[in-house]
Amino acid sequence: MIRRLAIILALAVALGPFVVLMVNSVRPSDAFLAPGAGFIPGTITLDHYRAVFGGDGETLRFLANSVIIATATTLLALLLGAPAAYALARARLPFRLSIVFALAFLIVRFYPKITVALPYYLIMRDLGWLDTHLAVILAHVSVTVPFVVWLMLGFLEELPPEIEQSAMMDGCNAWGRFVRVVLPLSMPALGAAAVLTAFTSWNEFLLASTVASNDAKTLPVRISSFITDKGILWGNMAAMGTVIVLPVALFAFATQRYLVRGLTVGAVKG
Amino acid sequence: MSDRQILLLCLVPALLLLALTQFYPLAQSFYVSLHDWTLARSPVMGEFVGAQNYSRVLHDRQFTGALWFTLGLAAGSSILSVLLGFGLALLTVGENWKLRLSRTLLLLPMIIAPVAVGTVWRMMLAARIGPVNEALGALGLGTPNWLGSPGLAQVTLTVIDAWQWTPFSMIVMAAALASIPPDILAAARMDGAGRGLILRRIIVPITLPIILLVAMFRMVDALMTLDIVFTTTGGGPGFATHTLGYWIYVQGLRYFNISQAAAASWLLLALCMATAAAFLLWRRRIMSWQVRQ
Repeated sequence: MIRRLAIILALAVALGPFVVLMVNSVRPSDAFLAPGAGFIPGTITLDHYRAVFGGDGETLRFLANSVIIATATTLLALLLGAPAAYALARARLPFRLSIVFALAFLIVRFYPKITVALPYYLIMRDLGWLDTHLAVILAHVSVTVPFVVWLMLGFLEELPPEIEQSAMMDGCNAWGRFVRVVLPLSMPALGAAAVLTAFTSWNEFLLASTVASNDAKTLPVRISSFITDKGILWGNMAAMGTVIVLPVALFAFATQRYLVRGLTVGAVKG
Repeated sequence: MSDRQILLLCLVPALLLLALTQFYPLAQSFYVSLHDWTLARSPVMGEFVGAQNYSRVLHDRQFTGALWFTLGLAAGSSILSVLLGFGLALLTVGENWKLRLSRTLLLLPMIIAPVAVGTVWRMMLAARIGPVNEALGALGLGTPNWLGSPGLAQVTLTVIDAWQWTPFSMIVMAAALASIPPDILAAARMDGAGRGLILRRIIVPITLPIILLVAMFRMVDALMTLDIVFTTTGGGPGFATHTLGYWIYVQGLRYFNISQAAAASWLLLALCMATAAAFLLWRRRIMSWQVRQ
């Protein structure tokens, strides 16, 4: 009984703020400051969504940017990360190079990205890539590839090498074994890596805000600029917040098995 | 092509990308930190100044203020989230659908963009429209200015960070708890051990290595806190809630005071690495001590 109450309390604390966000996104502007307006708004309005998406159509563009960048990041991170993990798991490199390379991927997790952000901005400026999708995608791939590699590496080390032996007998080379035998078996790990990568890119703020000033701006960068102005448009902010949060929440629910695996593996493996 | 060549070809693109987008910028920022460079004044780097940027940063009261706040936030947030996460993992341990659903729903705060988390809490805690103060006011408990007064804003940010990342420690600890062999617990119960004793003598010692690992990840991540500052306080009031990351961001990308920002970012990097190393050493000592027992 006490246990059930505690769980309900925890759920309220964890989810309540999101309910407030969504309710506020349909609350009429004049009902915000009315004293004793109550939690449930008397009338519901879509004005804030209209305000956020209407006008110059900017938000729609930022939404499209977020989708494009998260999708491209996920594909590229898997495309680069999965073969790299396979190579690290199977190649016998001299001088313990496999360990050195694996640690090179791991260390990316442990330093602040702000250290990289400033020079990354300068590099993109010199290349003339500032404010392009590519600049944001490369930044996002660089922070997610290490994660893909480590998740896959943990999975591949548990995969018995005998599985590949029959393919080896049939004359398959390493690439053939990877594509035909290992990849199909790795779907759970690949799924977990894909889900985590997509979330990370969708949510990432620092690197995107460093290189994207307008054309390549993503939703998280946009929402931060709602606030610097003196007056806060609560309704618009809530609508914007809902646009960022809701897809992730639904996606998380749909992919929960992969998600939980992805979130735990990184830490428990150590 | 030999298998080894194929495998190397598999590895090279990812390493190359990392070298270009992570390690080269990392080295570049260290190089810049040793030179005099304000991008607002000059598009090219100035002369070599040695450690001058570092000493200037360390003597900057704003920077040291940000350092202390960041340390406090990191310590407070990681202790809170590890304890609460462990508690939630214990609460939701089990395999029926209700418990599994609860665990999934409890994950929500950590998968949301930190900037959105900041927005959500700014709304929750707003002085006049926020439901938190509305509820407190209705109960006659007073309506504190959560994000508006310096000391309280620091505490509030710490709690928000803990709120967002408690699910991380919950989900990892839940996996750790699930891996404890059930017959050990059953045997202890047969011997008449109470819940508190089982927790202290069996569950905590077995999961201690993982608890320390979670604490390390939480501590290192909290030291890098940046996003939520943008959408909650913007670093204010005054400089009260400038985290190191936020201070560096403002110095580098708003004032283009590049060389000092680079120096400060390397100090933060050193702090993160030292923290991670300290936790791993501590963990190893505890584990070898446990083996000897």
